[in-house]
Amino acid sequence: MSEFFHQYFDFTIMGDHFSEVLEGFFKNLLLFAVVVVLALIWGLILALIRQLPGKKFAPLRFLTIVYIDVLRAIPILIILLLISGGIPYLNFIPKDIRIPHWFGQPDPFWYSVLGLTMVYGAYMAEVYRAGIEAVPGGQFEAARSLGMSHGKAMRHVVVPQAVTKIPAPMLNEMISLLKDTTLASVVALGEAVLISREILAETFNSSAVILAGVMFLVITLPAARLVDVLIKRNQAKVSRGAHIEVA
Amino acid sequence: MRKTRLTALFAVLLLALASVAVIGCGGGSDSTTGGGGSTEAGGGGGEPITVGSDIPYPPFEQGKPGNYTGFDVELMDAIAEKMDRTPEFQDTSFETIFRDVAQGKFEAVISAATITEEREQAVDFSNPYYLSEQAVLVKEGSDVKSLEDLEGKTVAAQQGTTGLELAKEELGGSEIRPYPEGPDAVNALKAGTVEGVIIDAPVAQNAVEKSGGVEIAEKVPTEETYGIAVAQGDTELLDEINKALKEVEDDGTYKTIYEKWFNLEPPKAIFTETHEAE
Repeated sequence: MSEFFHQYFDFTIMGDHFSEVLEGFFKNLLLFAVVVVLALIWGLILALIRQLPGKKFAPLRFLTIVYIDVLRAIPILIILLLISGGIPYLNFIPKDIRIPHWFGQPDPFWYSVLGLTMVYGAYMAEVYRAGIEAVPGGQFEAARSLGMSHGKAMRHVVVPQAVTKIPAPMLNEMISLLKDTTLASVVALGEAVLISREILAETFNSSAVILAGVMFLVITLPAARLVDVLIKRNQAKVSRGAHIEVA
Repeated sequence: MRKTRLTALFAVLLLALASVAVIGCGGGSDSTTGGGGSTEAGGGGGEPITVGSDIPYPPFEQGKPGNYTGFDVELMDAIAEKMDRTPEFQDTSFETIFRDVAQGKFEAVISAATITEEREQAVDFSNPYYLSEQAVLVKEGSDVKSLEDLEGKTVAAQQGTTGLELAKEELGGSEIRPYPEGPDAVNALKAGTVEGVIIDAPVAQNAVEKSGGVEIAEKVPTEETYGIAVAQGDTELLDEINKALKEVEDDGTYKTIYEKWFNLEPPKAIFTETHEAE
């Protein structure tokens, strides 16, 4: 039993390597920050394209649905490996874009941004869609019958109501995203998991890995609790008679 | 009523299927972090000896489960045969390999593993079976001609290796990228995302010959030797391995295997180098 503690909870090792692992964790946070903004925007674009009405937009809608389905189906790890393994070879792309070193971040960082944005854009598009579709159809019809165009009806009637149902599931997706930033370790990005594995190799001890896990816990646990609070608050709104349904 | 009966039936069937799958697959090999198979290679009859190795790492270990080959693999086969045992290779990740053998996940490790003091805190090493050094691998035609030329550039190495340590020691100003597998680092070099790879010289040479498009800029003589690792204190097994290794060297098998994989005669020093387990 003491061997268990030594292997996983050696506080000396945790102390010695704390700043290394923390620096790696900041990389995860940075990656998260960049991707979350891009994915929220990309997801919204996807969701709106998916909602475009009428026959002439059917091919666009179809493409968007295919994109969302495929990107939610393929494991993120495979997508990251395909990007980092393939893009450098595409010689028709200029080297500065193919192997980016923008803003001081190395190419594995940007490959991970691309991969995670592509995938989480798809997941977030679905969250937006669920929010939009949960607004009763009557709202949209009423807006149209009052003379509003499709765009105006969406903007002034549907989306404001949809927006209340989005935060809770969206926060869940963002928690997933933070955890998935660790996948960047396989493309050699110096984030928390990679660093703690190096320490594991040097010290033959897993305590640094536990330390990395704890750092994630510190952020994700309160965030998960926040999701519960948000859901409860929405339910309270409903029981008080607001016309917004429960998340 | 009917619906719940039906769902109950489905649930039972699913459970039955799941348990069959678990029992059927779970019985066999040990699970390893590397995820490969465990297989029997050549060797004599008798008790199996579980051997951990980070596969692939050509020319030392390569191939698919059931079909592993390489210098280490064939040498271990020969050694095991002298011990009247059959080696069962388990593909495992290099960065945990010493901890794993120390904890008894397998009995021995042969994986182009350099004998170092840090590693000896967890394992005991046999007498050296290979003299090695590091190499600086670059893309063909690169203007990097030496280790110092890589200063300030992006450099790759494999996690947990002496190559990575060398890179960290000598290239303070460079960005150093650790990859989980040796071949990943070489791929990054060929893709152009890194400008140099610090890796064991024989592996670099193999990449030059088999992979192409890369060349060795400089060899860094580190005077490192590879040994077979066993759990610390397992003196009985260690003595057996050392004895068998000596027999393999004495009867010419070592020379044959060495020449097969390296196209060179083995250096005289390897036959006399010994190593005291601490």
